[in-house]
Amino acid sequence: MDLLLLLLIPLLAGLVLPLLPDGSPWVRRGALAAALLQLLDGLWLWQHPPAAISAGWLPQLGLRLELGLDGLTLPLVLLAALLTAMAVMASPVDQSRPRLFFALMLATNVGLIGAFLARNALLFLLAYELILIPTTLLVATWGGERRAGAAIRFLTYGAVSGVALLAAVLALGWLQPGGLNFSYTALADHSLSAVQQRWILALVLLAFGLKLPVVPLHGWQPLTYSQAPTPVAMLMSGVVSKLGAYGLLRFGLEFLPDAWAAWSPWLAAVGAISAIYGALNAIAQLEMRRLVAYSSLGHMGMLLLALAAATPLSLQGVIAQMLAHGLIIALLFCLVGLIELRTGTSAIPELSGLLNPQRGLPFTLGLMLLALLAAAGVPGLAGFVAELLVFEGSWVAFPWPTLVCLLASGLTAVYAIRLFNRVGFGRLDNDRADWVSTSWGERAPALVLTALVLVAGLWPSMLTGFSETATAPLALRSSDAVTVIAMAPANLNSPNLNPAQLPA
Amino acid sequence: MSATVASERIKAPLIPPSTHRYADVIHRLEAGGSMLPDTPENLKQIIGIYKAYAVPMDFYWRDLLYIAERVFLNPLPAFKYFISQEYLDRPNSYAGDQSQLRIWRGGEKAHPELLEFMERGETGRMPKLLHHLWHDRVNMEFAEACMQAMLWHQGMGGRFNDYLESDAYKANADRAIKAYFKGNPLMLGLYALFPDMFLEQVRQLSYTANLGLFWEVMAPVFFEMSDIYDEGGFKGVPDAMDFIVNGIFAVAGRPIYHHLYIGDECYEIIPKSEGFTWLYEAALPYVEAVFYRTAPFRGTKSYNAQAGQVPADQADFHYGILYADVFPVGSAGIPPTLLMQDMVHFLPPYLKEIYREHKRGEEDELVQLGITFQRSMYNVTSAVIQALRCALLYPLDDTNPEHLMANRRFFEAQMDRFLRPEARLPDIQSQNYR
Amino acid sequence: MASILETAASVGVFNTLLAAVDAAGLREALEGPGPFTVFAPVDDAFAALPPGTVQTLVDNPPQLARILTYHVLSGAYSREQLVAEDSWSSLEGAPIPIRCKDPFEVKNATVVTADVVCDNGVVHVIDRVILPG
Repeated sequence: MDLLLLLLIPLLAGLVLPLLPDGSPWVRRGALAAALLQLLDGLWLWQHPPAAISAGWLPQLGLRLELGLDGLTLPLVLLAALLTAMAVMASPVDQSRPRLFFALMLATNVGLIGAFLARNALLFLLAYELILIPTTLLVATWGGERRAGAAIRFLTYGAVSGVALLAAVLALGWLQPGGLNFSYTALADHSLSAVQQRWILALVLLAFGLKLPVVPLHGWQPLTYSQAPTPVAMLMSGVVSKLGAYGLLRFGLEFLPDAWAAWSPWLAAVGAISAIYGALNAIAQLEMRRLVAYSSLGHMGMLLLALAAATPLSLQGVIAQMLAHGLIIALLFCLVGLIELRTGTSAIPELSGLLNPQRGLPFTLGLMLLALLAAAGVPGLAGFVAELLVFEGSWVAFPWPTLVCLLASGLTAVYAIRLFNRVGFGRLDNDRADWVSTSWGERAPALVLTALVLVAGLWPSMLTGFSETATAPLALRSSDAVTVIAMAPANLNSPNLNPAQLPA
Repeated sequence: MSATVASERIKAPLIPPSTHRYADVIHRLEAGGSMLPDTPENLKQIIGIYKAYAVPMDFYWRDLLYIAERVFLNPLPAFKYFISQEYLDRPNSYAGDQSQLRIWRGGEKAHPELLEFMERGETGRMPKLLHHLWHDRVNMEFAEACMQAMLWHQGMGGRFNDYLESDAYKANADRAIKAYFKGNPLMLGLYALFPDMFLEQVRQLSYTANLGLFWEVMAPVFFEMSDIYDEGGFKGVPDAMDFIVNGIFAVAGRPIYHHLYIGDECYEIIPKSEGFTWLYEAALPYVEAVFYRTAPFRGTKSYNAQAGQVPADQADFHYGILYADVFPVGSAGIPPTLLMQDMVHFLPPYLKEIYREHKRGEEDELVQLGITFQRSMYNVTSAVIQALRCALLYPLDDTNPEHLMANRRFFEAQMDRFLRPEARLPDIQSQNYR
Repeated sequence: MASILETAASVGVFNTLLAAVDAAGLREALEGPGPFTVFAPVDDAFAALPPGTVQTLVDNPPQLARILTYHVLSGAYSREQLVAEDSWSSLEGAPIPIRCKDPFEVKNATVVTADVVCDNGVVHVIDRVILPG
């Protein structure tokens, strides 16, 4: 029941909110309360590991209500709950059509939590598909000027991803020797032949590569992120894209390890290309949202590299990077949103001098500097811990792609400083600078995220402590050598990812 | 020449309208007005800021004279801003009962609000040294920046700068330096080795005295304007400008000099008998060097001389308050910030009220009062322009069209200086510029 | 014939000017052989200056002398000679422009009576105090 609560809180809130009178301030407050409650519940479950749930639902289809929480998904659940709360806080107090907006945000949250908690591939698929609808609607209804095109593109890419995943999940279920079974425990038994694994992995890579995204499947991402309203962009970049990484870890690495091991050099190369492509594009952007979007693309490339390397250390890096990047990218979008709200634009050439102490946005820009430094991997901030683990963990497996990713990480500093220099320094445009300073209410989500980015940088076990025991058994290679240990059956067959592995 | 510019308004135009870009402003000047539009709010703003300016100015002039006359060439002038009681009590020549020409009705000693601030500051009562180090004090650095602008731009009219190069000046300075360092073989030895360096320092101190004597006049002028306004005295911005015009004429003949006091003995480095006057040797150079020119400042807006962002010719410098971008006030390295910070302590309540109602309220008070200051200095510059027109050209109600055309040409030439894109003249025409 | 100062005193409209000459200590010099050309402002011209202007100058003789010597040229010049040049150098040092020949205007002052010939020079009566600059 404890686990169900995580799902029920946003579900019930999402159903009740539309019944409130129009214009009631309790719509926003209710959504915030639901997200915070969920976060509290998640924290409680961290300390009191819940029992897994397994109940029949549609046994004919092999669909069972199987939910569980382990060291891999706990941090992601917490991240999803936290960023939902922050996204609600970052939404304007006078949000237009608030009942629908917040209901859709909570629906997205239900889908995310469902996907993370699912212990059944079909259930995962349902949740995965569920997310697509509210996010598309959120972009299409509340997005920027080009929202229609952005939503269509997002929907198209999302649908392809969904279909690919559907095919992969069905294949996984049908090909089980013991008959139709979508349960993770069954899928983790690795009873598929190498050829079967490769076909399914191709579908899995397509599905989650689109979601992550990585080059060349990223066509929807810059446009959608730049057109989505700020809270939605925070949630999408912060959590929804992490679902792609989680999917690769679960379906690729865990369920199809042989194929994964075989293809991992190519995946590492794709990761490296994504990283360098994202960073170079970010440098060229003239619009802050697109810059942040490409920055995100670059970091997703690093994630893929770490996934491909699959050493114990790099898998630690995957979790750490998911959390750190989730916090940082949400913070960046939150700050860009604040700047846009005040100045009316996010175009870099139109902005300058925002650090101006009296008439600029010194507080926002100060946090922005910190967030950019964190994204660039400056020590003492969350991004450093994650990138260090990724690079150190991947180096033994794929030195050249790691080097390229290191270079991309260096380029992060280039666009970070370039953005800050253009927007923060220089002369404040006297005609434009006619806005009030940001209120503490508006600063709150950015402050919370900044605090977490700082704390995670100084206390890295916050990023890695959850999942050490959960990711180690997934490793295909040793951290010490380039030897592929994927074929060692002891590793493959160990029953991993059960709740008992939660840190006490 | 008549006493008030306002009474000279022309009845019917004898010359065609101006086609200058600032024709409106020129016509207003020809009608006896100011470059600043005549609105009740403008009047309130400028009078309020004159008062807030006059209080720190009362410290500036006293300390400038203290530095020029007492601290002089002290090689380690760490305490030059720790003004002596003697100079705090030094009677202002234009205020108090002892003054021969009384401009301000108030007392001749340092202003009570200034003394109160020096005592408590923003932080509270503590030793003077801590106030100084914590920078909770009057920012004399601003006054010295103005002095350096005058020194640096040099010949801005008058004969002061020429005199600093004369043999008479050099002989006076030499006598003063030797007297000041009497019994100090180290400094006298250095003087023998590097006489020009010492001489140049004395020239800077002469400009320090010059600026101190200039501001000794302006402080009571501004105090009196504030008192007149509080009584309901000024009807509009032109009245306020006329008051300054009259003030300029009244003290035009005030001697500008530089004396050094060692104990009770006075060494005349620039004697009064040189005939230097307040108007020609102090006021006009000050306006040119400080209001118009000054120098680009370091800070968030940096200038790259190699990239041609700083003009090669000093005459093309336009970084003064009439051109300044006030928005970066509050950033590090922006000298006007020091002045704004000084003025913010002495704002009259009605001005604080205006700031609270606009833009970010108290949060960006420094910028708002900076823009008010800019408005008020456009009014002072208008007074200077009208005074010059009065002294060198013709009455506004002259009936000779040729005389009126001469006035017109003069006004247009003055307005030409504001054709530069960075000039704030167009901005201050609107009340929305805050 | 009388000297410049004697002539001025006899007319009765130069009281302020004469008092100023005394205050500035210029009497002796102006009574010398010269010859000088003096642009003499009438009393009304001084009265037209804003209040305090004359007082401050009278209190400070060197500064007053500077303004007064701006009204004096070295040498005796008639109107005819003066209008032949655009500008003359005053005893003070600053130039005095001749802006108009007819009516005869010196700087921004109009000459009311020209060519009053005296022992040690020529006086031209002007209706406004002229200032250097």
